[in-house]
Amino acid sequence: MLKTLEKLCLLNSPSGDEGAVRDFIIGEIKDFCQYRIDNLGNIIAFKKGKNTPNAKILLDAHMDEVGLIITSVTSEGFLKFATVGGIDTAVMISRRVIINGNVTGVIGLKPVHLCHGDEGKKLPKADSLYIDIGVKSKEEALSLVSLGDTAVICGDYVRSGDKILSKALDDRIGCAILISLLKEESEYDFYATFSVQEEVGLRGAKVATFAVAPDFAIILEGTTAADIADVAEEKQVCNLGNGAAVSFMDRSTLYDKGLYNLALSSGIPCQSKRFVSGGNNAGAVHLSREGVRTVAVSVPCRYIHSASSVADIKDIDSAYKLAKYLILSIAEKKV
Amino acid sequence: MDIKNTLFDLSAACSLGNITEARDLAFDILKDFTDECEKTDNLTVIGTIKGESDYTLMLAAHIDEIGFTVTDIDDKGFLTVAKCGGIDLRTLPAKRVTVHGKEKVAGVFCSTPPHLAEGEGSFEDIGKFKIDTLLGEKATDIIAVGDFVTFEGAPCLLQGSLVCGKSFDDRAGVVTLLKLAEELKGERLPITVKIVLTDMEELGVRGAVTSCFKVNPDEAIAIDVSFGNAPDVSPEECGKLGEGAMIGFAPVLDKAISKKLDKIARENSILCQKEVMGGRTGTDADALSVSREGVRTGVVSIPLRNMHTDTEILDITDIESVCELLKKYILEGGVLNA
Repeated sequence: MLKTLEKLCLLNSPSGDEGAVRDFIIGEIKDFCQYRIDNLGNIIAFKKGKNTPNAKILLDAHMDEVGLIITSVTSEGFLKFATVGGIDTAVMISRRVIINGNVTGVIGLKPVHLCHGDEGKKLPKADSLYIDIGVKSKEEALSLVSLGDTAVICGDYVRSGDKILSKALDDRIGCAILISLLKEESEYDFYATFSVQEEVGLRGAKVATFAVAPDFAIILEGTTAADIADVAEEKQVCNLGNGAAVSFMDRSTLYDKGLYNLALSSGIPCQSKRFVSGGNNAGAVHLSREGVRTVAVSVPCRYIHSASSVADIKDIDSAYKLAKYLILSIAEKKV
Repeated sequence: MDIKNTLFDLSAACSLGNITEARDLAFDILKDFTDECEKTDNLTVIGTIKGESDYTLMLAAHIDEIGFTVTDIDDKGFLTVAKCGGIDLRTLPAKRVTVHGKEKVAGVFCSTPPHLAEGEGSFEDIGKFKIDTLLGEKATDIIAVGDFVTFEGAPCLLQGSLVCGKSFDDRAGVVTLLKLAEELKGERLPITVKIVLTDMEELGVRGAVTSCFKVNPDEAIAIDVSFGNAPDVSPEECGKLGEGAMIGFAPVLDKAISKKLDKIARENSILCQKEVMGGRTGTDADALSVSREGVRTGVVSIPLRNMHTDTEILDITDIESVCELLKKYILEGGVLNA
């Protein structure tokens, strides 16, 4: 699973341009399940298990990552851009980006030596940022990129002990877990969606869930962990190494308490997400059709939405085991 | 010697404090192109190319880079650091670094999670910027207070002759001098040239003080980087990438040297641009010029964008221009024959 995760993280698939990750996933799962691609580009897969449960169970992970989209080109050949999904200015400036997976650029910044007064102590305005691809004219720039092209911030995949440092852990971790579940034998049938456009408003999951019409949904995600220096215990949300984080409430969803309790009593290492913040595809999924009983199983990630996110492989393993346990328990009507 | 490949090798190597990878690499290259080459106790490299006279021109580029030193390690593997050189704190959140402990350790500066963000954040106190070593409580087994931290980031090609990487300030100057030494090999030089790779420039132009005292030159030129054009930099404060050597003119510099460099560039159609500064230059030249009884000093710079970040950008052709200019200047006897 970690080999797959590494390959997934190194692919570039900002929202709206999920093709690279989609193609890779199809290559991985095609011999193990039925699947189709819907109008928006979601992969909707069906895994035939040994038994067919009465309830329809859906597992979801999103394929897209946060990124940038080119909006215009200056006369000197610098590219102006908008963000795709939420990225802080501080984790964009002085970073390398890759546009269309093949043109390297840099989000430049006036040297601190030339800043006057408080200028060097404040973040530049997001709309003053630009990408420098090393060309000298607008024409040269437009021979390499077009308006509407997307980019991601570069970040290599590094393994350090039990920790992984990479871009796009949100939500390639979910994708890697879901691929593993599809590739192995299952006791019960389940549906899997690899969804598009989560980072721009949970849009792919909305339509994919409508298509599947599940009774239960398990969202596989990455979530903010703030267990870092100088953060008080009650604001840490969740902790790396303490297992998968299970949500009771976030800004998009009040979760099904039965599923939440089922997860926490599983005996598999897991923890409550202890802060009402963020959101994920559950927000769209639990409101699909007449409503879907939904649980979110998240892997704690430090520095999420930056190109240097950090996760613990023990938590990835917990999330995988917990997802498997939940399929089994839901199918066997333990909730 | 291929300029781009050598620049990339030097950029990927680190030189800060007792970490001397870049210095050692530069020494190994320089010794083949010089009559004598030594590493001094104060982490400097001095290579001598003997000429027909003892009149000595010192060419200085600094080998050190900006970074950090560890001042505290907590029990969860987070480091508190102090700055070594002019760091732009705004660029640090989620930035990757290498911690030079007993072994090299990958680290990342913490970034504030969105639910804890208060306004835009404060970018004044380096003490608030912790490094996550990913090691947890094991950090103290590998890392000690006083260890150095450098930016992480392999150099890469952009379009044409533009390249991006860390520590081009001043490995660009270093590679210029290495290439120059290769070019001068076999030439009959009217004057003696000492190529000096100085240390601790980023800590306030310190290595140049002692190395210039030791070399005791008749004349000196510092080779460094300077501000390159970018959308958020005013045109009068910068040079342009790809438009050649930036020849320094400043009150602290020797006017005859600046003028002769400019004249040679124009006579030989070497791309150049003037860089006029109001006082000091912010380079090794500031120390070279006041060494011992005073040394006539010039500055030639390579335009560079995003200075003091791990995404510095320069044009390889500007390094070629500086190298060609210095070669002609030496063959014409430096300022001695001005």
